[in-house]
Amino acid sequence: MNAAPIASASTAGGSLLWLAIILPVVGILASLLSGGRHAERIALLLMPTGFGIAIAIAIFLWRSGQPLVYVIGGFNPPLGIALRADGFSAVMLVTTALIVAAAGFYARAIFATPPGITEARAPLTFWILLQAIWASLNLVFLGGDLFNLYVAIELLTFAAVPLVCLDSRAETISAALRYLLFALCGSVFYLLGVALLYGAYGTLDIVLLSDRVSSEPVVWVAAGLMTAGLLAKTALFPLHLWLPPAHANAPAACSAVLSALVVKGSFFLIVRLWFGVLPNVPHEAVSFILAALGSAAILFGSVLALQQERLKLLIAYSTVAQIGYLFLMFPLVQGPNLWVAEAWSGGIMQTLSHAFAKAAMFLAAGLIAESLGHDRIRDLRGIGAVMPMTLFAFGLGGLSLMGLPPSGGFLAKWLLLKASIEAGRPIWGAVMLSGGLLAAGYLYRVLAPALSSDILHLKAPPRRSREAVALALALTAIALGFAPKAFFDFLQIGRVAVAGGSS
Amino acid sequence: MNALGLVLLIATPATPLVMLALCGSQARRDFLSSCLWIAPLPALGAALMTIGGQSSAFAAPAIGYTLFIDKVAGVLLLVVAILWIGAGLAAARREARDVRFSVCWMLTMAGSFGVFVAADLLTFYLLYALVSIPAFGLIMRNGDAASKRAAGVYMAFTILGEAFLLAAFALLAAGEPNGSLQIHDVIAALPGSPWRDGALALIIASFGLKIALVPMHGWMPLTYTAAPLPAAAALSGAAVKAGVIGLIRFLPFDTALPDWGEALAAVGFISAFYGVAVGITQHNLKTVLAYSSISQMGVIAAVMGMGLASAIPGTALDSAVYAAHHVLVKGALFLSIGVAAVASQKYRPLVMWLSAIMALSLAGLPMTGGWLAKLVVKAPLGDGIAGTLADLSAAATTLLMLHFLMLLARMAQQSPQTKTQVAIDASWLALAISSVVVPWLLYPVVVGGLGEALTASAIFKSLWPVLFGAALAYGLRPWDHRLLSVPEGDIINLMEAAFRASLRLGETFERLDLRLRQWPAATISLGIIALLLAAAARASR
Repeated sequence: MNAAPIASASTAGGSLLWLAIILPVVGILASLLSGGRHAERIALLLMPTGFGIAIAIAIFLWRSGQPLVYVIGGFNPPLGIALRADGFSAVMLVTTALIVAAAGFYARAIFATPPGITEARAPLTFWILLQAIWASLNLVFLGGDLFNLYVAIELLTFAAVPLVCLDSRAETISAALRYLLFALCGSVFYLLGVALLYGAYGTLDIVLLSDRVSSEPVVWVAAGLMTAGLLAKTALFPLHLWLPPAHANAPAACSAVLSALVVKGSFFLIVRLWFGVLPNVPHEAVSFILAALGSAAILFGSVLALQQERLKLLIAYSTVAQIGYLFLMFPLVQGPNLWVAEAWSGGIMQTLSHAFAKAAMFLAAGLIAESLGHDRIRDLRGIGAVMPMTLFAFGLGGLSLMGLPPSGGFLAKWLLLKASIEAGRPIWGAVMLSGGLLAAGYLYRVLAPALSSDILHLKAPPRRSREAVALALALTAIALGFAPKAFFDFLQIGRVAVAGGSS
Repeated sequence: MNALGLVLLIATPATPLVMLALCGSQARRDFLSSCLWIAPLPALGAALMTIGGQSSAFAAPAIGYTLFIDKVAGVLLLVVAILWIGAGLAAARREARDVRFSVCWMLTMAGSFGVFVAADLLTFYLLYALVSIPAFGLIMRNGDAASKRAAGVYMAFTILGEAFLLAAFALLAAGEPNGSLQIHDVIAALPGSPWRDGALALIIASFGLKIALVPMHGWMPLTYTAAPLPAAAALSGAAVKAGVIGLIRFLPFDTALPDWGEALAAVGFISAFYGVAVGITQHNLKTVLAYSSISQMGVIAAVMGMGLASAIPGTALDSAVYAAHHVLVKGALFLSIGVAAVASQKYRPLVMWLSAIMALSLAGLPMTGGWLAKLVVKAPLGDGIAGTLADLSAAATTLLMLHFLMLLARMAQQSPQTKTQVAIDASWLALAISSVVVPWLLYPVVVGGLGEALTASAIFKSLWPVLFGAALAYGLRPWDHRLLSVPEGDIINLMEAAFRASLRLGETFERLDLRLRQWPAATISLGIIALLLAAAARASR
């Protein structure tokens, strides 16, 4: 399964990788040039196209069973830059295209340029930044060298931060600044690490580096710095200070994208770093620390979610907890063991199902907040009777978070749980199960009163099409629970075996 | 295997779900209440075919869901389907006007049928969740404070049980060397699995919770008392059997496991007597029946425990037959409460007599279905101490059931005379009659001839526990109102208090969160994490 040390030539379908990045970039430029209400049209037009490209990449990958490579301009690394797509990248591309599109269609009602004026600040910013997030995420998933990925992750941060404060209220601006400052701290750490690696090995290409690095001080320091920097952007406990205010106060469509996708971008890079750049550097103790932080995040985030008075804050703290699950795969994906594939699939499944479930829940919460004029949990009694479709979407998303079948969240938990037992480390499984119980607790706090027969009056009923968007995302999270075996085989494409760690 | 069998097998869990989907639009909502009793028909068909000698299996392509039905499942599915029809008819008139109730009813029903026919771990887990979680909506139906509390407690126990079960299944799957998830394969591999004890403990914990073994029983009295009568009938008769089939399917009866078997039997007998002891202090008819369920499920657990302890062949089928008797009787007795409350003078004797037969059938009165059920489990229980305890528990059940009948008679007499025009409830009558008749039809097909059981001495041997229980009841009459007053759910109050106290931990976490989210704390954390990771990378070398 090991990739060739020098992946020099572009493979068939490789140019699609370039297209996946350039399409939203073209969209941004066109939006800037044409301005005003055209930005919305351009964005909405490009989204289905981008989804098509993502699907095409997945098909090429499925057919060849080998990672796709595209060498930009024909200059081979280390001179040139390569783009690469493996199974994980491909599913992330598809997920991103779907969720960005869903957020876009959902946001049309709020971020439409009002009739009569040619340009409004918030809508123009929103549509351009949405495309920027999309472009930078695609670059994160496809980038083949560490500096390139630094640029991608910076772009991602700069596109994400303003989405938090589009309504320019004082509290959202302070939340955005908090996010920006801490993300910048993370960037500094990451960049330092990259510089150290470049100084030591003279290349930043992932495949070339993976061949050259060995377990020595410069690598330890660089890896520690880069990982910590990325953890800050992922908001892994205890580095989550910025996430709850930012995700809870942003407009719902933005919260959905931030919670579902943006934090996964930096998580993806941590996976790339340890399993792509450093597979030959043993890292059992590192994995243990990551999983321990993840466990703390699960327990802490869930308990905090139980304490929240506002629905969107509850969902935001639930994100803090769910991010923790992602890191439980690290100690299980070690060495040439049988359960490694299972744990890898479980980790990716968790990434995907949380993305869809959480996006659906934020969109549903947005509809509830708009229809009621508030999102205080104790005043949601009877919401199920007046907004059944919205609550159904929220509930289905919750089902996946709790890890109840049939849902992607259930399959993820099942795979990780099984792997943790087979690996002889049931402690991680126990953490997962307690996280599920706590998730059931905080969702019960919302769902039980919501389903009561109290009478509730809406300020304005939600628009059916927007409810449908939330429901479609939730149903996708459920549909992941029916993923066939072929899907899990697909996720293994391009996975590099990690050295050592057989137990 | 033939095509009809296969279709019926798939339709067994699928029909309620498909009907629910078809009733999605507003226009077809009226049809939904009829679905309540139509949807069980395929399950009934599948059960009849299986008891007739067919067995079927089905594997859904690609997604890997698998179903199969054997005689053990057939016996239980038959009576469970009859109960869902009867309870569905009863619910269709009043409760089903609430769409939420009907939706939850159909989902619970689908799961209730599904657990009997699931062939692999993931299918079982899905259907088990379906029979457990939507029942929340059935318990909540009345919408008052008591039903909200009951539903909350039920949900807490259910989710805990789900977590135990998922852990158990992961251990089972990890113990199967070839990666098969078929229940048959994982159970065959269980005795030799390195995770055997953990898996067995979790299996017994999760299914024991479902059948309310002491001390995990507190939710049951609350739940059955709060739920509307048809829902209580369906839950106590049918839904709880998900736990029974769980134990039947996931305990390795082919291998003698004395420690585990005897432990399960001990918990079972404790529940059997505990249920009666608390039950006779109760004055709400539904609560009394709930405690009787705790007691009866305890007996079933004891039967399975004894069977497991010495690998007695046929334990699975014997337990299923015993449980099958409880399905119809308990369901019909719950409906009796509603019928007796409104029965006119003319019908009151019929209601009381039928209720008395069913109630004493639970105690194993000779020539009733319960008597047949007790004959069947003689083999696993044996003649030793377990057999004696079983006889004593029958006496105890007699005591509890006479308590129930006295309360029922008192209520029937107090019922207002204005209700005299109400005709007798046909669904109750049908259910009650089938609870008497079905065991007699089932016994010769599933078990065989009665043989020596019909001799006078054998009949007397089964009669003495009932007589002893009756004598006990007579002796205890003067103390009827002097018995300790125990709140329904007994220890559940303590558990709720402990749960509420644990919630205070949240405030501590909140304070900690506030500290961690200060700038200095966060930046210091960032630095420490970078250092730690670098050190860890060095340590991993």
